[in-house]
Amino acid sequence: MSSVPLSAYLVLALILFCIGLYGALTKRNIVVVLICIELMLNAVNINLVAFAKYGAHPGITGQVFALFTIAVAAAEAAVGLAVLIALYRNRKTVHIDEIDSMKH
Amino acid sequence: MMEMAWIVPLFPLLSFFILLLAGKKMKEASAYVGMLATFVSFLAACAVLVDRIGASTYKAEQVWLTAGRAKWTVGFEVTALNAWMLVVVSLVSFLVHMYAKGYMRGDERFSVFYAYLGLFTFAMLGLVLSPNLLQTYMFWELVGLGSFLLIGFYFYKEEAKAAAKKAFIMTRVGDVGFFIGMILLFSQVGSFEYEDIFKAVQDGTLSPALATLTAVLIFIGAVGKSGQFPLHTWLPDAMAGPTPVSALIHAATMVAAGVYLVAALFPLFEASAVAMRTVAVVGGFTAIFAASIALVQTDIKRVLAYSTVSQLGYMMLALGSGSDVAAIFHLTTHAFFKALLFLAAGSVIHAVGTQDIEKMGGLWRKMPLTAAMFLVGALAISGVPFLSGFFSKDEILVAAWTYGYGGLFWIAVAASFFTAFYMFRLFFLVFGGKERHDVKDVHESPAVMMLPMLVLAVLAVVSGYIHTPWFGTFLGDWLTDGGYAHEATPVWIMIVAAIVSMLGIFLAWLMYGKRSLARDWLSSRVPFMYSMLWNKYYIDEFYAWTVGCAVNAISRLCYYADRFVIEGIASLIAAAVNTAASFGARVQNGQVQTYGAVAFIGLALLVVILAFTGGYL
Amino acid sequence: MNGPYFLSLLVFSPLLGILLLALTPKTQERTIKWLGFLSTLPSLILSLFAFCQYLRGYRLEHLTEKRGWVRFADFPFLTESTFVVRYELNIDGISLVMIVLTSLLAALAAIASIHIKKEWKGYFMLFLLLEIGMLGVFAAGNMVLFFIFLEMTLVAMFFLIGKWGGFERERAAYSYLLYNGVGSAVLLMVIAILFARTGTSNMELLKEMLHNPAVRAQLIAPISDDLRFSLFLALLVAFGIKLPIVPFHRWILRVHVQAPPAIVMLHSGVLLKIGAYGLIRFAIGLFPDQFRDFAFIIAILGVVNLLYGAFLAFIQNDFKMVLAYSSVSHMGIVLIGLGALNEAGMQGAIFQAVSHGLISALLFLLVSILFERTNTTEMDRLGGLAKAMPLTAGSLLAGALASLGLPGMSGFVSEFTAFFGLFQTAPAVAAAGTLGIIMTAVYLLRAVLNITFGTSKSGGAQAFDMSLTEAVPVFVLLALIIMIGVYPRILAEPLQAAIKMMMNGLGA
Repeated sequence: MSSVPLSAYLVLALILFCIGLYGALTKRNIVVVLICIELMLNAVNINLVAFAKYGAHPGITGQVFALFTIAVAAAEAAVGLAVLIALYRNRKTVHIDEIDSMKH
Repeated sequence: MMEMAWIVPLFPLLSFFILLLAGKKMKEASAYVGMLATFVSFLAACAVLVDRIGASTYKAEQVWLTAGRAKWTVGFEVTALNAWMLVVVSLVSFLVHMYAKGYMRGDERFSVFYAYLGLFTFAMLGLVLSPNLLQTYMFWELVGLGSFLLIGFYFYKEEAKAAAKKAFIMTRVGDVGFFIGMILLFSQVGSFEYEDIFKAVQDGTLSPALATLTAVLIFIGAVGKSGQFPLHTWLPDAMAGPTPVSALIHAATMVAAGVYLVAALFPLFEASAVAMRTVAVVGGFTAIFAASIALVQTDIKRVLAYSTVSQLGYMMLALGSGSDVAAIFHLTTHAFFKALLFLAAGSVIHAVGTQDIEKMGGLWRKMPLTAAMFLVGALAISGVPFLSGFFSKDEILVAAWTYGYGGLFWIAVAASFFTAFYMFRLFFLVFGGKERHDVKDVHESPAVMMLPMLVLAVLAVVSGYIHTPWFGTFLGDWLTDGGYAHEATPVWIMIVAAIVSMLGIFLAWLMYGKRSLARDWLSSRVPFMYSMLWNKYYIDEFYAWTVGCAVNAISRLCYYADRFVIEGIASLIAAAVNTAASFGARVQNGQVQTYGAVAFIGLALLVVILAFTGGYL
Repeated sequence: MNGPYFLSLLVFSPLLGILLLALTPKTQERTIKWLGFLSTLPSLILSLFAFCQYLRGYRLEHLTEKRGWVRFADFPFLTESTFVVRYELNIDGISLVMIVLTSLLAALAAIASIHIKKEWKGYFMLFLLLEIGMLGVFAAGNMVLFFIFLEMTLVAMFFLIGKWGGFERERAAYSYLLYNGVGSAVLLMVIAILFARTGTSNMELLKEMLHNPAVRAQLIAPISDDLRFSLFLALLVAFGIKLPIVPFHRWILRVHVQAPPAIVMLHSGVLLKIGAYGLIRFAIGLFPDQFRDFAFIIAILGVVNLLYGAFLAFIQNDFKMVLAYSSVSHMGIVLIGLGALNEAGMQGAIFQAVSHGLISALLFLLVSILFERTNTTEMDRLGGLAKAMPLTAGSLLAGALASLGLPGMSGFVSEFTAFFGLFQTAPAVAAAGTLGIIMTAVYLLRAVLNITFGTSKSGGAQAFDMSLTEAVPVFVLLALIIMIGVYPRILAEPLQAAIKMMMNGLGA
């Protein structure tokens, strides 16, 4: 199997992260924002695993850490969705720019 | 006794304190306290005078305050001049105290009046005893305070309030000149003491230019206090005070303080010809200026007030012409006959209830004694021969003639004519002719008011003989400690003076006594002149227009600057902060995504900076 | 006197009062008012005792207190005093005089506070806190402590004005806070820079380090002449806001009108003098060369203050505004005295600080009496009060005469000495300033005569005269004013040594 260079994985992670960041900061729908946050977390996962195999000190540490990240992402998604549902029941909207009661 | 001269002012001060604290309970008895105090002062002053005969000047002093290297002392000295002044001031004050017992009877603030009189007398006696300029200045201002309180005695009257304020402020304008002159003198001489100043003048440490400057500045103070032109307008207005006040303060003592100051500083003035000329010119001009206004006034006290201004002008003329003896002589005689005139006028006002001479008349029959005394005073001031005014005025005319500057002599003679004329105009209108008043019961004043007038009348007749070319120049010898030069007095001056006085009296008799000349014989021909005189040359209006407007304008300007410029700048800063704040607050729009974006951008910036600077800023 | 504790005792004695007040229920009006007044007495007694001892020859250095407090750095190469802030109190002639003035005015203001109408407990607690702050400012031995006590007065005054003041009290309180806060911030900046560069905030040490060439080597970082000048200007601004120097004076107008008169007594009597004291101690004490170069401008600023305040006081309609501008005007004389650069001038300046403190306290005391009776201080609604209230009217007139510099009262001594000093160095400026003497008389007489003389207007007819409680402080103040006016050496002698020391610094 021809080896895929490390940089390819990192670039992939970078692109995914940037897409996720862009979406988190600009999308209107809260569900999409949550999805983008998941995207960012997954990008980090790819980075961790890539360094686990091809990094300066290859080992299993990166993969273990990726498992942690996945668990945290799942928990965060659950909480985020719960908050979203409560918000929707209160404000009848899933548009993030309509929730600005902390204005100056 | 000379060593104890400092107790002379203390008795009136004591009466001030006693009356202030316990006066309300004493009521009419306050008069006795005041009279006793001034009488004891008078006796003490006489003792000091007697003690001074043949002795030399006594001086005592004590350190009052040191400021750096400057040491300021307070004390007293007994010179020939101020021993004499002590007697004159305390005597007139005592007589006025006696008179006021009758005049002010029934007034509910009787004791307060006597308290103020005591304060004033204390200040005046203290002024006279001062050995240095600083102490003189302090008592000078206290005298002004006494005058202020007494002019404003009837404080519920608007005119008294205005007059008191005017008097204080106008004299303060003069006092600033005194203040500056005094300090400049100190910076050159190193001391405020009179003897140090005179020594510096003699040694030549005091340059003529500085002598001129300081003398003129100090003279400005005298101009204010003695009501010379242009700071004279407060004196006629001061007539709003009770008549005994006018007699004591605005005839005999306080206004004489200016003359006294110039006389006491005479060696300084003599060092500068310019200063002497200034004094003489101001004096001469004031003499005729005020006399001309007095020609047409209809308020009896105002005529007397302008007369005082005019006579003070004479005294200044004498000083400027080089004869301090003549000035002090006239000060003495004037104190007596002017006080007499005022007290007599007070009697009249008391009896008739008005000060308008057009509403008086024919009082000769009803108040013969008062009329006689007024006549004596009028004759004295007009310079009728053998009365006191004749001799003292003659000395002044001689001095003016010898000085020989700019026709001052002829101005003085003309003023003398006016003086005789307006005094007898007053006499004839008030006491002669038909009765024009509507008061039923006009009677003489009680004895307590007549006695002081009698004493003053006697003095008005005989006080001239203390200094005559015929019987001996006692006053001159006394004042100059025996160094008086007896010049032969040109007899023709005496004759001219006598003739001029008689002419003035005659003209007044024609117009107001016999009525053979119409009253408006002159005034109808020169109505413009008449209205100028009647309106006192519009000086008050001029001052209101210039100084009054200027002060108001500056105040307004400052007000607008304060409110709009300074406040504006402060408000501008506040507004700028507000704008910046509201601008920054727009970042807090409640949008989570905005916050996230800002956080991210900040992080990116930090990373870039870190990358470029390699670690630390 | 027990050396090591005396000053702390003096400064913190009102603390006892605060504690006792905290235990008193807030509805006991009489108890609280008595307690408040009595709490001001210990400091008064102690300060008068110290003053008498000093007149008899006691050396004030014995009273110096020094205790360890904060240590910023512990490097072995630094000396024992570097980067250390101690708790140190010391006084000299000038501070002692100011402390006596403070404690006296505090006691009298506590009497005047009987007119306060609500929440007496909070009022007196803040009042006593203010007193601690004022006493501490004058007794402080280093700049940090000075600053802390200064801020104490700021906070206390803010609440006192904002809660117990007149109709626009909140605005006045904020105005006060902002202006003085900015001044304090600038002062803090100066303290911080000096501390960073020299390692100390102790005033004697600072003086040494800034001037003694031998000690200069010990500086942490060099202080250039430019920096000195900037620091001097900053100090001038900081204390100029307090003094106040035109154009920083706008806040004083609001405070004088809106704050309760008893507090204005303290404010006008003491707090403004902190500005003067700060200028003398810090601007002249630490930067004499810069001060010497700047003295001419300071004299001119003084004349501007004098004239500007006088002209503005002339057209005011509210008597309290007249007195506010009068304060601005009279503090100009302090500047005139300082700008004269000689002993006479400085003596005149300190005399004026004391004298004006007493006189303005007297006038505001009378204002509080007046306001209680007539509920207004507008001059066109007052008039002819001398008929109904002769004693008050007489005292008002006496106060006005004292303020315009009538000889026989303290105002004359200070005015004369200050002008005398300035005439020796800048006669033209001084001559221009004498116009202020006339204008002062003009506006004061206008104001007071409008209130006391003339015909009675609506307000005065029913008024009743001073009660005994009100009369006592009035007469105490009048007596002091006359005593200093007639026998000024009682004030001049304690100041001699301190003034000489200041002038040595300036002359050197």
